[in-house]
Amino acid sequence: MEALRVEGLSKDFGGVHALSDVSFSVKAGERLVIIGPNGAGKTTLFNLINGQLRPTSGRIYFFGQDITTVATHRRTQLGQGRSFQTISLFPNITVIDNTLIALHGTKRSRFQMFRSTKEYKHLLASAREMLTAVALWEKRDDLVQALGYGEQRRLEVTLSLASEPKLLLLDEPSSGLTSAESADITDMIRNLGKDITVLLVAHDIDLVFGVAERIIVLHYGQVIADGTPGEIEADPRVKEIYMGIEENEGNATAS
Amino acid sequence: MGIARLKETIKQPWREQLIRFAPYIVGGVILILLPAVLPLYLRSIWTKFVIFAIFAMSYDLIYGYTGLLSLGHAAYFGAGGYAAAVLMFHYGIDLLWIGVPFGILIAALTAAAFGPIALRVSGMYFLLITFALGQLLYSIAWNVKWLSKPGMQGIAGLSRPELGIPGFSWSTISFYYFVLVIFLICFFLIYRITNSPFGYALRGIREAEPRMRSLGYNTWLHKYIVYIISGAFAGLAGILFVYYNNMIVPAHLAVGTSFLPMVMVIIGGSGTLLGPVIGSLVVIFVEYFASLFTPERWPLILGAIFVIAIMYARGGISIHLSRLWKRISYRYGSIKS
Repeated sequence: MEALRVEGLSKDFGGVHALSDVSFSVKAGERLVIIGPNGAGKTTLFNLINGQLRPTSGRIYFFGQDITTVATHRRTQLGQGRSFQTISLFPNITVIDNTLIALHGTKRSRFQMFRSTKEYKHLLASAREMLTAVALWEKRDDLVQALGYGEQRRLEVTLSLASEPKLLLLDEPSSGLTSAESADITDMIRNLGKDITVLLVAHDIDLVFGVAERIIVLHYGQVIADGTPGEIEADPRVKEIYMGIEENEGNATAS
Repeated sequence: MGIARLKETIKQPWREQLIRFAPYIVGGVILILLPAVLPLYLRSIWTKFVIFAIFAMSYDLIYGYTGLLSLGHAAYFGAGGYAAAVLMFHYGIDLLWIGVPFGILIAALTAAAFGPIALRVSGMYFLLITFALGQLLYSIAWNVKWLSKPGMQGIAGLSRPELGIPGFSWSTISFYYFVLVIFLICFFLIYRITNSPFGYALRGIREAEPRMRSLGYNTWLHKYIVYIISGAFAGLAGILFVYYNNMIVPAHLAVGTSFLPMVMVIIGGSGTLLGPVIGSLVVIFVEYFASLFTPERWPLILGAIFVIAIMYARGGISIHLSRLWKRISYRYGSIKS
């Protein structure tokens, strides 16, 4: 079964073609990683799939349903979950309340005005389970702004799981982390059940090859390669374009 | 030491609860007893403070909790007030049980009509549109003859509402307790709303609206609902103000009146329950004392307080008071255990 199908997707910003004619599909349960140099259009692609942006042309199907013009919150109700490249949490609210907000998001109780949010015992139990899994339960009463960067990253991914999504979109979940912290995130993703389809954008090579069953390479808004990790590694165009730029980036950081 | 103290508080949760709720109990006792012993004129000012506390709490729902900075909240305060005033003036209906629900309904309907216009935008543009909508109602009240008593702008000479109880007549203290009961009901309702999943969703919208959408919230709908609720509470404050003041003028719909809850919430502490109440207390009483000495310089003094509050009491007076209280209760707790 296809979890996601993208057909001829293009997005222009003024005269800039951020994405041109991108097509691919993701099988249910698959772990697909999208790589590509900065500015390749990876985040734009995520914004189209999750509904933050509307495509200039092309269609998006989610489990067979055309969702091209469906609002973001409806896509979440349908079964998408998303984490953000720049951390997007609620900094002046405690860790537990961040988690409870996320848990209420796909339940009717999100409109409930006269019951305390702490009265939902089954949601508190889920929150405890989720936070324990990422070693944040002890810090549940801390404000999110008081957490360390690595902890915020873990919470960022955890919140996107609260809706029990069928398709999880992770936009550079290990961005800015040390390699040890990044390995935690890799384990977290590997431990997800096969009922969750994962679409991941990443730069971190350990994360990419630790998770990927299939890799798509984006370059200047176009798909230039699509295959298993082995095929991608062997692809001469990927080596030339991707590794070439990687080398330049390395030089830039060194200088 | 720390662990021993923790165990102590777990063993005696009632004392922890007492310390936690002590400020509310003290505040409640002051609200109930103090006005009974105040001189008549100060009692009237105290009543005005409680009415404006409701107005400021309603504003805090959209500004403090949801993060929408409005400069047109008087539109709903005035709409509720005008509705109650027109009902008395044109139709002779001065029964409280009709005037209050009708005024709240009109204020909520006004907010329901203005909401979709204002909520198309956010930030500074939201401020400007709410400001424009408030001024629109102001100019309607100024120009439509039906909304004024002949020979003046506005409706004056109204009476206190009828309760429908034979032989009952208002005194300043019974009117105060009536206002206080309504205030306590509003306080309780807003307490419940802000601690509910809906209330936390509002905080989420304030902190990171795009994330809220990705979590499944239709953030527009949440903002629209709270805008109407907030308008209804503001309308209730406007109705009480008409009953208190026995008159209403177009300026009660305009930017000068919209500015008051904004200043109260920022001075007192936004996104808190007590902040708007403390802000209202400070603004109304400073206004009173300023008017005794230099009536024409009141806006200057208000501006100065506003600047001082922003510079030296970031987050509002209530935040600093609650920090002080935590320090005191911590020390008190450790001595006892």
